[in-house]
Amino acid sequence: MFHLVWLIPAFPIASFLVLAIFGTRLSKKAVPLFGVGSIALSAVVSILIMFRFLTSPPPGNHYTQILWTWVDVGGFKPQIAFYLDALSVLMTLVVTCVGFLIHLYSAEFMQEDEGYSRFFAYMNLFVASMCTLLLGNNLLLLFLGWEGVGLCSYLLIGFWYRDPANGLAARKAFIVTRVGDTAMTMGLFLLFDKLGTLQIQDLMHQALLHWAVGSPYAVAAALLLLGGAVGKSAQLPLQTWLPDAMAGPTPTSALIHAATMVTAGVYLIARTHILFSLAPSAQFAVAVVGAATLILAGFSALTQPDIKRILAYSTISQIGYMFLALGVGAWSAALFHFMTHAFFKALLFLGAGVIIESLHHEHNIFKMGGLRKELPLAFWTFLAAGCSLAGLPLITAGFYSKGLIIWDTWSSAQGSHVLWFAAVIGVLLTSLYTFRLIFVVFFGEVKTPVHKRPGLRMMVPCVILAVLSVVGGFLDTPPFLGGVHSFTDFMHLALPVMTEGPAGGMTEILSESFVTLAFLVGLYLAYFFYVQKREYAEKLTAPAIGKALHQFWLSDWGMDWLYERVFVRPIIWIARVDKQDFVDNIYSGMALLTEFCYRGVRKTETGRIRWYAAGIAAGSIIFVAIVLFL
Amino acid sequence: MLPLLIVTAAAVVVMLAISIKRSHLLAVWLTLVGLAAAFFSLWIVAPLTPIQVTPLLIVDGYALFYMGLILAATFVTVILAYGYLENQSGYREELYVLILVAALGSVVLVASSHFVSFFLGLEVLSVALYAMSAYLCARKPPLEAGLKYLVLAAASAAFLLFGMALVYAQLGTMQFGQIAAMLSGGACYSKALLLPGIALIITGIGFKLAVVPFHMWTPDVYEGAPAPVTAFIATVSKGAMVALLLRYFYETGMQHLGSVFLVFSIIAIASMIAGNLLALFQNNVKRILAYSSIAHLGYVLVAFLAGGTRAAEAVTFYLVAYFITTLGAFGVVSVLSNGERDADVLDDYRGLFWRRPVLAGIFTLMLLSLAGIPLTAGFVGKFFLVAAGASSALWGLIFTLIVTSVIGLFYYLRILVALYAPPAETGEAAPAGGLPALSRGGSYVLAALSVLLVWVGVYPAPILDAVQRAVSTLRLF
Repeated sequence: MFHLVWLIPAFPIASFLVLAIFGTRLSKKAVPLFGVGSIALSAVVSILIMFRFLTSPPPGNHYTQILWTWVDVGGFKPQIAFYLDALSVLMTLVVTCVGFLIHLYSAEFMQEDEGYSRFFAYMNLFVASMCTLLLGNNLLLLFLGWEGVGLCSYLLIGFWYRDPANGLAARKAFIVTRVGDTAMTMGLFLLFDKLGTLQIQDLMHQALLHWAVGSPYAVAAALLLLGGAVGKSAQLPLQTWLPDAMAGPTPTSALIHAATMVTAGVYLIARTHILFSLAPSAQFAVAVVGAATLILAGFSALTQPDIKRILAYSTISQIGYMFLALGVGAWSAALFHFMTHAFFKALLFLGAGVIIESLHHEHNIFKMGGLRKELPLAFWTFLAAGCSLAGLPLITAGFYSKGLIIWDTWSSAQGSHVLWFAAVIGVLLTSLYTFRLIFVVFFGEVKTPVHKRPGLRMMVPCVILAVLSVVGGFLDTPPFLGGVHSFTDFMHLALPVMTEGPAGGMTEILSESFVTLAFLVGLYLAYFFYVQKREYAEKLTAPAIGKALHQFWLSDWGMDWLYERVFVRPIIWIARVDKQDFVDNIYSGMALLTEFCYRGVRKTETGRIRWYAAGIAAGSIIFVAIVLFL
Repeated sequence: MLPLLIVTAAAVVVMLAISIKRSHLLAVWLTLVGLAAAFFSLWIVAPLTPIQVTPLLIVDGYALFYMGLILAATFVTVILAYGYLENQSGYREELYVLILVAALGSVVLVASSHFVSFFLGLEVLSVALYAMSAYLCARKPPLEAGLKYLVLAAASAAFLLFGMALVYAQLGTMQFGQIAAMLSGGACYSKALLLPGIALIITGIGFKLAVVPFHMWTPDVYEGAPAPVTAFIATVSKGAMVALLLRYFYETGMQHLGSVFLVFSIIAIASMIAGNLLALFQNNVKRILAYSSIAHLGYVLVAFLAGGTRAAEAVTFYLVAYFITTLGAFGVVSVLSNGERDADVLDDYRGLFWRRPVLAGIFTLMLLSLAGIPLTAGFVGKFFLVAAGASSALWGLIFTLIVTSVIGLFYYLRILVALYAPPAETGEAAPAGGLPALSRGGSYVLAALSVLLVWVGVYPAPILDAVQRAVSTLRLF
């Protein structure tokens, strides 16, 4: 059964090729047949593999399928090989299943678009790259997938390329993540140089053998990999691309910029967790980045008027939670939140897509309202996802996954109380911005009439994801709520158990109570400001300080402004000043020399046969002279 | 011997068939069947090798590999020629007889182990090529090409013969194996006569390979000859000569002589530089390909000079890649040509992508392979050349190879830019009723070549194995 793993990326890549080559000639019916069908097949294979993994796990709880060796030069021997363990099986399962639902949704959502087949070609290529990233057994293959998903992200953000703003957003995403990728490549070079392999399991083994805890190489390599993860997962300080990435079609935002690609950084850190445990300072940096990001992005989300940008900041903030969990060594908690987040955030985006479509592409939430009655099914599914995101206690998946992270942040040996406090504040913010969104969009009076209602293919994925957003949490519950820990047990097949530190007067139930309290406060504030006293919300931004703060958060803490001045403009300035520097002259001089030589040798091509014969004769004479006299 | 006999028989049968009934399709089918039969007979012959057939010919794994390559390339040429000639008026069938005869000459060359068979094969090949170049004698450029080729080839053959005579006069034998024995055995001979002999032989070989300074005919002949014939000259004729070059010099050990090594180094460096420079601002695609083939033979010589099994493998592998690529490139030229003239000016390709995206894609692949971009056969081939050169520490030659490759990239990219340029608005309007249909056989062949190109580029192991087995039968000195 496990040897079928190669099919998971193979189906989408085959479908990508078909769509890319014959796309324009296929009928409107055939395109989704390939585009959605291939992902369905991949999902089926992943489900089968997961089932097999649970019923009869392979020896050692991992399985490697070596397809072929790419090159074999001087000890550098990267293989095209797939590695299955609990981590990759779980993530592949989530990616293909959620991916399938989003593809199904897109089949209707993108129906009227002229780039229908192009869209599915890109989306399929994305799923193939993402699975390669997750399944690759060496960092080079992982990097191939990593760049592949980056490329697809670029292509899909700029999908509606006729609007230059979309192209700019796509370029921004590509360039900002490139900063992280550069760090990551340097990390790969460092690892290969010092440990002589890129095969992940070998590499981890070698690192354990050669590097002591806290060794500078381990710290440097871990920090460089963290750089790559930060770029891809839109964490501080490279988070600025994700809100602009919302320029892409909404299913893209759901699949790439919420559920899957942006969690690649989480996967990378979890995959190389041994390296991070060898570098405690780097691991602490992960936790700090996560905590800072979740708070900052939460504030930014509070002020956005654009429904997709709110969700984008929310994604940044939630991935911050995952980073926080990774940073404190709560590996399985991070993955748990990854899974539930994939469910509810994908659903939120799909719901946002339904709303935007039915309101003539309106993005501003303040021009929406009263949609509860107009789009009841969209409302209920959106509400389920929103509650899960905000962490409605006891019944939603988000509550369990987030609660676990927050408790682990306190109880882990690497955790700290400050981080715990930040995480709880994050819950308050999440609940506030989520219910602000829900109250403004679905309650109050109708502002824009609904002109189009979603069909079955769009609503079925929403309902399924809504169910998952609720029940997904019961895979792992705290001891006082049933004490199920099947998810954690499963993850421990691949990832180490968190080391607990002194709890210091806190218990899990108390921690969960704080979370609940934060949730309720956020909910109440949202209710107060956006249902009861709408005018108060405006009053808050009326005074100068309120206005300034609002503006500051709206512009994402002025990050873009800062980067524009610190990096972009100086570089453009230097480029302009240095337009005609000395070094260029060397290259243009070589080009000129080449052209000069061309003009010289061209004279020999006269077209006259006697000249040609003379050339042959002269050549022979010279060669005879050489052999005779040298 | 079986493959040679089949090719000969095929030529005779096609000729007889033409005299009985003129039918273009019949002639093509007979030719193709003959070539396919000869190709598959290689497997029948394989278990019996190596055998020495008279002192003239040796049929070993090496010869069989090259025969396969030549027969396959001829097969492709015939299909291209069919599509090309369908658009032409006048007698068409005789070209296939000529192609078969030329293939026979090449097959003899790769199996020759004696000066006599060397010269015999060369002349059979050349005489057929003169007629093939000038085949469309109603047009001026082919006639000019044929004549130029005839005069210069005859002259260079005289040099070759004289060189052979000098070597024979000194060593008293014309068999490669015995020459090797004499050279190493320290038999008494006068270097003052032997070495000029070798130099004159190099002239003859250099002419056929079109390397500097014997290259000047190439662009004129390439430009003038009909596109499928050009493809044949660029691949089969040169490939057979390289096969012979390897066998002759490696089996006799002549390339170890310091001055011979020097001569070949000069030729290689001059070819790489001149070939790439001359192509830079050319506007004629056939001439660009001609100059690029000069440069490519220069690259081949780099590995040839390295010596040893590794080098022979690299050269052979490179030739396989070169065959695929060159046939593909000239194939595109050939299917785009019409009854009046060949599509050889750069302007014919401007905006091709917007008219014929698939064909433009194939041409792109071929050009990228010629430039040696990864994932194509050309890259793998060049990699082995450089590896072979590096293992013998020929740094100067490798340096030239790399620098000139960069220059080469320029003119390949120039064609690519033209391919993807926006279609000219002011040009003649698109012909009514869409574009003329392309020859179907030609299209299939091009598609197959593209697949092969990428396959060899991504997964070269099977070809590499075959090359290694073939080269292992070469008796290196």
